[in-house]
Amino acid sequence: MQERIGFYICHCGINIASRVRCPEVAEYVATLPDVVVSRDYLFMCSDPGQELIEKDIPAYGLTRVVVASCSPRMHENTFRGAVARGGLNPFRCFHHVCVREHVSWVHTDMDEATEKAKTLVRAGVRRVARQADLFPNTFPVNPNTLIVGGGIAGMQAALDIASAGYHVYLVEKQPTIGGHMLQYDKTFPTLDCAACIGTPKMVSVGQNKNIDLLTYAEVEELSGFIGNYTARVRKKARYIDASKCTGCGECTKVCPVDKPNEWDVGTLKRHAVYRSFPQAVPITFVIDKNDRAPCVQTCPAQTNAQGYIALIKAGKYLEATQLILEKLPFPGSLGRVCPAPCEAVCRRKKVDEPLSIRNLKRFAADQVDWDSLPLPPIEKKSEDDRVAVIGSGPAGLSAAYFLARMGYPVSVFEALGVAGGMMRTGIPDYRLPPAILEREIKYIERLGVNLHLNTPIGKDRTVDDLFHQGFRAVFVATGTHGDAKLGIPGEDAQGVMAGVAFLKRQNLAGDARVGEDVVVIGGGAVAIDVARVARRIGAKRVRLYCLEACHEMPAWEEEVHAAKAEGIEIHNTWGPAQILVSEGKARGIEFKRCTRVFDDKKRFSPAYDEAQRQEVCCDTVLVAIGQRPDTSWAEGSNVPLHPRGYVQADERTFATERPGLFAGGEVYTGPSIVVQAVANGHEAAISIDRYLRGEDLLEARPERPKGEQWNPIPDDALPTPRAKMPEIALDQRQGFEEVELGFTEAQALEEASRCIACGTCSECMLCVANCKAQAIDHSMKDEVLNLDVGSVIVATGFDPLDPTPMHEYGYGKYSNVYTNLEFERLSNATGPTAGALLMRDPENRYHFTSPPSSVAILHCIGSRDVNHHEYCSRTCCMYALKYAHLLKDKVGHDVLVYNFYIDMRCFGKGYEEFYRRIQGEGVRMVRGKATRVTDEAESPEEEGKLVVEAEDTLTGKLLRVPVDMVVLCTAMEPRKDTVDVARTFGISIGGDGFFLEEHPKLEPVSTATAGVFLAGACQGPKDIPDTVAQAKAAASMAQALTSLGRVEVQPMVSSIDEDICVGCKVCIGLCPYSAIEFDDRRGISVVNDAVCKGCGSCAGYCPSGAAKIRHFTDRQIFGEIEGLLVARSAS
Amino acid sequence: MSEKQFEPNIVAFLCNWCTFTAADLAGTSRLIYPSNVKIIRMMCSGMVDPKYVLKSFLEGADGVFIGGCWPGDCHYINGNMKARRRVALMHEVLERFGIERDRLWLRWVAASEGNAFADTVTAMTGRLKELGPCRVSREAVA
Repeated sequence: MQERIGFYICHCGINIASRVRCPEVAEYVATLPDVVVSRDYLFMCSDPGQELIEKDIPAYGLTRVVVASCSPRMHENTFRGAVARGGLNPFRCFHHVCVREHVSWVHTDMDEATEKAKTLVRAGVRRVARQADLFPNTFPVNPNTLIVGGGIAGMQAALDIASAGYHVYLVEKQPTIGGHMLQYDKTFPTLDCAACIGTPKMVSVGQNKNIDLLTYAEVEELSGFIGNYTARVRKKARYIDASKCTGCGECTKVCPVDKPNEWDVGTLKRHAVYRSFPQAVPITFVIDKNDRAPCVQTCPAQTNAQGYIALIKAGKYLEATQLILEKLPFPGSLGRVCPAPCEAVCRRKKVDEPLSIRNLKRFAADQVDWDSLPLPPIEKKSEDDRVAVIGSGPAGLSAAYFLARMGYPVSVFEALGVAGGMMRTGIPDYRLPPAILEREIKYIERLGVNLHLNTPIGKDRTVDDLFHQGFRAVFVATGTHGDAKLGIPGEDAQGVMAGVAFLKRQNLAGDARVGEDVVVIGGGAVAIDVARVARRIGAKRVRLYCLEACHEMPAWEEEVHAAKAEGIEIHNTWGPAQILVSEGKARGIEFKRCTRVFDDKKRFSPAYDEAQRQEVCCDTVLVAIGQRPDTSWAEGSNVPLHPRGYVQADERTFATERPGLFAGGEVYTGPSIVVQAVANGHEAAISIDRYLRGEDLLEARPERPKGEQWNPIPDDALPTPRAKMPEIALDQRQGFEEVELGFTEAQALEEASRCIACGTCSECMLCVANCKAQAIDHSMKDEVLNLDVGSVIVATGFDPLDPTPMHEYGYGKYSNVYTNLEFERLSNATGPTAGALLMRDPENRYHFTSPPSSVAILHCIGSRDVNHHEYCSRTCCMYALKYAHLLKDKVGHDVLVYNFYIDMRCFGKGYEEFYRRIQGEGVRMVRGKATRVTDEAESPEEEGKLVVEAEDTLTGKLLRVPVDMVVLCTAMEPRKDTVDVARTFGISIGGDGFFLEEHPKLEPVSTATAGVFLAGACQGPKDIPDTVAQAKAAASMAQALTSLGRVEVQPMVSSIDEDICVGCKVCIGLCPYSAIEFDDRRGISVVNDAVCKGCGSCAGYCPSGAAKIRHFTDRQIFGEIEGLLVARSAS
Repeated sequence: MSEKQFEPNIVAFLCNWCTFTAADLAGTSRLIYPSNVKIIRMMCSGMVDPKYVLKSFLEGADGVFIGGCWPGDCHYINGNMKARRRVALMHEVLERFGIERDRLWLRWVAASEGNAFADTVTAMTGRLKELGPCRVSREAVA
């Protein structure tokens, strides 16, 4: 069929015609093949212009129409409508060529512009003839609307839509709705209080049945298309059940953790359990948790160090001890002997030194009366579920302790006459007095644990016997009580003793003996203990020789220092070659130089320089070079043992291959530290409980906490030294009295207050105990919701600029330089001063003293500034005037207020009038941007003041104005997460960084993604009236969509020609929307029209050319290319 | 010496959501740039088939400009990344046929970057003037 094409070029007044000779273009097009009508017209988009097309179609029998005018993004739909009214399919029969934005507005030469217009039109004429019939798809619209952001814009839009009877999901990131407006005090120019007009809106939102309020929540993903979106929303755990919380605030009264309140922009502190402000909606409190503190994560037993430190700080020593007892039964003992891996990772060291965590634990444990210490509530288990524990060391007793707390009947069998294992026999009394350990063992017994002393397992009573006697589970924790041997000549001589045996003898019988000149061999904790004990029982000289260099010694550094202080000589990098014996008695040792202790793979593999030797005279040799497990307990039973005597068990569950038999502590790990043994015992207890209840040992077993998202180090954490442990004087350390005396209460309180609360909430559980409504649940998890909505309104607001990097204004350096938001909080009745305008105490940023006598308000901080934001933030002039008024009103008429401005922009309704009123109140207006704020006085009246420097551009004079307080009117900035939010919702970002509306004048609330609308300051700086107006506009757009109930979706989607498709499936992998499926029967790929968005990923790749995007087919694009280049190729 | 200065022919395939909009913005902002560029509107840089580029060169284009959204900002999630891979390959292939790398430009221009669009077109026109006419179409025709 012969095509009959009509062409129309628009003058657009003179917008096009001033650069493009429109009649000439029309004349040219008339010469092109198939063109039957070619006209130019003043305004094609006007009604007469459109009528021209509508009439020409029947009159000339047109089959295709091309219009050259503005951008198709402007009027493509207008002309499609005209063509449709003319009776043609608008997709088949119409093409729009842009000769305004792309030609007349960007080229200056009329010949060039006219030629380019001809070229573009020629391409359009070629293309239009190749277009095909297309019909838009119609889809139903989900009647729900999602609103993101609960500031005044979000609240207003939600209320408007809800009042029309439609459902709204309002998602707010903060724990309360309200947004910036509710942080303000008064609003200009009417001076009504933001809370008075804002809180009723909040309450209405909270109570409206059509509004689902999701606070403390964020949209993670938006999928679907206009009318049919699905939003994935993560509701962060509040740790407080909103259905039970009454908002009474009893929880926050007892919370020991302080942190700057975000709502008060750091002018006031809040607790870890908090509510942003008293009128918050919802009234539900929230617990602020970060990842667990590094101390808690590092502790093998996961002791809640941050928690008990917080409780100590609050003076709650009993609660602190009880909290420790949740994770270990030996707070007093470990508070003395733990090497404290927690302190190595304490983040306080970034400020000064790590906290003295171990000593605080000891302090808490020493403050309570252990005899009356209340027992936790225990639910007794069946008498049949009896558990036996072999060994009463830290691992055995811990397992028994935790099992007893779970209600199991536990019997502990101990070979010796005392309980406590190595804690009792291996640690000297001056470090761990027996009474401390005994009170803790007594507490374990009070829980119902049966302790059988002098009852070795092995020969007379085997492990098998225990099972036969009805113990359903047995936990082995026999430790490593055998000494390792040197394996050198002379080891059996008189005067040579093994370290652990020596300590045991001293600890249990008190009758260990040494000569006058003692040499200790070994560099570990036991060797140091041995040396210090030898000194105490009468040795005149004690020398310690070890293989390791000083920094490699496994002994704990503090202990090495204590030993040196007590006169013990330490000789590093020497290994014993032989013990020199005379008449059966040791008389000395020959050492050789050790050149290396560990090999490249960090394995113990000492090397020696055999030539370098020395002989050392002595009368006693104490060998403390390691321990071995004693395997006598396993005699006569079927027990899976390692060849070196250790028990083989699973590293997480501590279960051995033999059902019911578990093992932990040093008999499993080898020599280690007490807290590790405690941790083993606890984990084993959990396994035994699961085993006895017939559960899988591993399934859903809680993982160790990890993560490094911690509370930032507070800016008021100033360097303060770590508390020093009081000790008995060196000259009085003769006997076995405890060397360390423990912190005084004052020391403990000060030390505890150094904690920077890495995890924010310390999980001290005081709030749980104080909540009568039982609303608190520390185990709550985030909730993920999928919401089906038809439209989305993004109302995420703005961030205030942080002026800290602008050093010239001294923000952060001078305590009385404020940001506008800080000033708002200061003036607000719920703020730090209950509304009084006071100066800040330079010593304490949370303390405010007296009213200022003079204040400078600096406009345009970061706005209208090429170094920051070129745009005007639109609100500052007006709120600056408001501040001036508030100062005059609250502080008194005599307070001097200076406004340093560039231009006063008082453009809104009632704004200019407000400006005049404030001028009348005696506020001084200085036309000139302040260049600097300094405290360097140049004259007596500047002493002790902040001096604002500026040029008064009206008089041309440089000014120095001394004031008490400076307020910086900072710019409104795009939110820091604007880019992420833009990606989530498919919104573009403008050059200023705010979200980009579809058209700056005519589509101020629409975005590039149909069905996603904008409201408020996320689109650009705005005051409250404009924000509310835009919110109402966005609400009306959403409602229009909803009330129509259906939506037409452009038909430019992919289609796969089933005759051509070879079924290679490449397109399926490329499709970002999973819109292509494979039809197995026919062996081809098939597009789902409803899901396809027409991106063309498939068409751009399809090797056979089967996949095509409708309206962007190869033939159509080729037509355009040929049209553009035909003149050139013809030449 | 009065020979008319060489004016390169540039075909631009622009993503509807960013670079095409940026071209509109350049117009609205009255930014002046050389008239050598002729725009073909695409829905996404990822739908620019290598055929379109080859066809342009064969029909006599001296340069081809593909404009897409900044990485991460694609209206269709990742079409621009597909364009990037495709252009990298095309550069390899085109070079073997004597079409210099600098004749095919892929640039990210966001909707708000009208000035970046004008600058890119100006720079590309300048560069193509240095390179001179693309010989391929003439040789192919001959």
